[in-house]
Amino acid sequence: MADETQTMPETVTSAKKKKPVGFYIAGSWIVLILLAAVFGWALPAPQWDQSFYDSLGVSPFHHSHILGTTLDGYDMFAGLVNGARLSVFVSLSAVVVGGAIGSVIGISSAYFRGRIDILVTMAFNVMLSIPNLVLSLSLISVLAFSDENHPATTARRVGVLILSLTIVIIPILGRISRGATLQWSSREFVLASKSMGTSNFVIIRKHIIPNVAPAILAIGFLAIGSVIIVEGSLAVLGIGIPGGASWGSMLANGRGNIAYSPWEVYLPAGCIALTVISCNWFGDYVRTTLDKRESKI
Amino acid sequence: MSSLLKIDDMSVRFATPRGDLKAVNNVSIELLKGESLGVVGESGSGKTVLSRATMGLLPSTATRTGTITYQGQDITALPKDEVRELWGTGMAMIFQDPMTALNPVRRVGSQLTESLTVRLGMNKKDAKEKAIELLKRVRIPDPEAMLRKFPYQLSGGMRQRIMIAIAVSCEPELLFADEPTTALDVTVQAQVLDLITELRKESNMAMILVTHDLGVVAGHTDKIAVMYAGDVVEYAPTRELFSNMKMPYTEALLKSIPRLETPTGSRLPVIEGRLPDPTKNEPGCPFANRCPYVTDKCRAEKPPLTDGGNNHFYRCWFPLGGVK
Repeated sequence: MADETQTMPETVTSAKKKKPVGFYIAGSWIVLILLAAVFGWALPAPQWDQSFYDSLGVSPFHHSHILGTTLDGYDMFAGLVNGARLSVFVSLSAVVVGGAIGSVIGISSAYFRGRIDILVTMAFNVMLSIPNLVLSLSLISVLAFSDENHPATTARRVGVLILSLTIVIIPILGRISRGATLQWSSREFVLASKSMGTSNFVIIRKHIIPNVAPAILAIGFLAIGSVIIVEGSLAVLGIGIPGGASWGSMLANGRGNIAYSPWEVYLPAGCIALTVISCNWFGDYVRTTLDKRESKI
Repeated sequence: MSSLLKIDDMSVRFATPRGDLKAVNNVSIELLKGESLGVVGESGSGKTVLSRATMGLLPSTATRTGTITYQGQDITALPKDEVRELWGTGMAMIFQDPMTALNPVRRVGSQLTESLTVRLGMNKKDAKEKAIELLKRVRIPDPEAMLRKFPYQLSGGMRQRIMIAIAVSCEPELLFADEPTTALDVTVQAQVLDLITELRKESNMAMILVTHDLGVVAGHTDKIAVMYAGDVVEYAPTRELFSNMKMPYTEALLKSIPRLETPTGSRLPVIEGRLPDPTKNEPGCPFANRCPYVTDKCRAEKPPLTDGGNNHFYRCWFPLGGVK
């Protein structure tokens, strides 16, 4: 009995192991972008949409324009901060809304199975078979059509952009959550809880979601990265958010001037790249940490 | 004592690509209040399916026929919601593997109080107190600290105690124990079985103990049903079964338990051959191909369940000790 009463040594300490350097680099960049997005308006920087005719295309480290200006005289730093706001807003809302819808559909269809599950899987596969760039392109050109006489407002463009990205995200996170739910709902503890008379809703809330959430979170981070890329690609194709309001849009506006003011391209591209890499790295980190936890059980 | 559970002519079939798989065939069993029944058989004999089917915990590919009367009520006719009302508070189950039957990401406390709050409507504080009391009942030292632990921090025996505490938390009348000690260390097995028996005696709880080990059921059950290939092949009070064994299969099961007296290096006793294919419908006794006493009659015709007196039933043409 004495031996039996002893519990295994605490293994939690290994979770407190030193985190890799990349964790801090990626983490600080993401925090920086979030801060810029939320508190950017309070920074002592010039207006982002105001052209300074006395300083066109000045290079970075200028005394009044720290990251220089574009050939049209727009302040780069202010533009990047404003772009962070828009990029974070677009990507977060698309991933959060799409992720929530996708997860609800994925989890419930995998938990209850049956015909609905087959239909949901088919729908996800159909949605995934459409290239996301093409989907966004056609949605924007239909729903936010604009020509010289009827220009679409920026708000409308942003709205349609978020909608199209949400539609792209739904099947991605839906499939992940469906797969994870299939795996977890066949575990014995679900049956054990069921045998105690727990309702399906409570089982999903207390047993499925805590186990599925990490996988969704990990893929969610990767999805934020790819959403930022899609936003940039659409801008370069000329149907994103106009007027240099987002990173992609700044890149699109500046790419013709690469020979005269290369920072116009490098800076927004660098921001996109760093953010995407940080998100991907974070997603990987979340996943490997959780894999470790799973293997310990 | 009055009847608690009466299974009448229950069969379970699974739909498989190779045809219907007959997991349980026309089983009839009766259990009184506070009584314990051992269901014994080798892997694949249908004993786990029998217990899960009785509770109604079968996957959707299974079909169940026959009637199950629980406290005078036919539960096969009840809608799903009302059957669920019985789970936990009427019937509860202890699962075979305590490693997988606890949720790895939730603390012991939250899993233990789950059914208390959800099923019995207790508030958090009462549920916590009850959980501590339950942990004391299953002899867990320092129950307050246990509530904050994760399953992976516990040994197998401790986890099985937690599973038992969860199963008895809503004070069920009938406890299904599906190989509760198979995944445990031999030294812990006896403790866990004694614990279950003690808990049963305390609250006059009936039990169906499913196991492949005849030694396990001997001291912990009032009667035994031996299963083979989905059939109950021998059904008798425990003492009667061990003193007056009728089935060659039961004898073979008993012989296959390794003994200390056997000389070192000798082969472990086994039952030669395999279970018949449960998707095929072959004539004759399903044990015929493995039985040391097989005759032509055994291969041609399946024996019926015969009453041998003393509440002893068997399914054999040539029972050990002869026909009375």
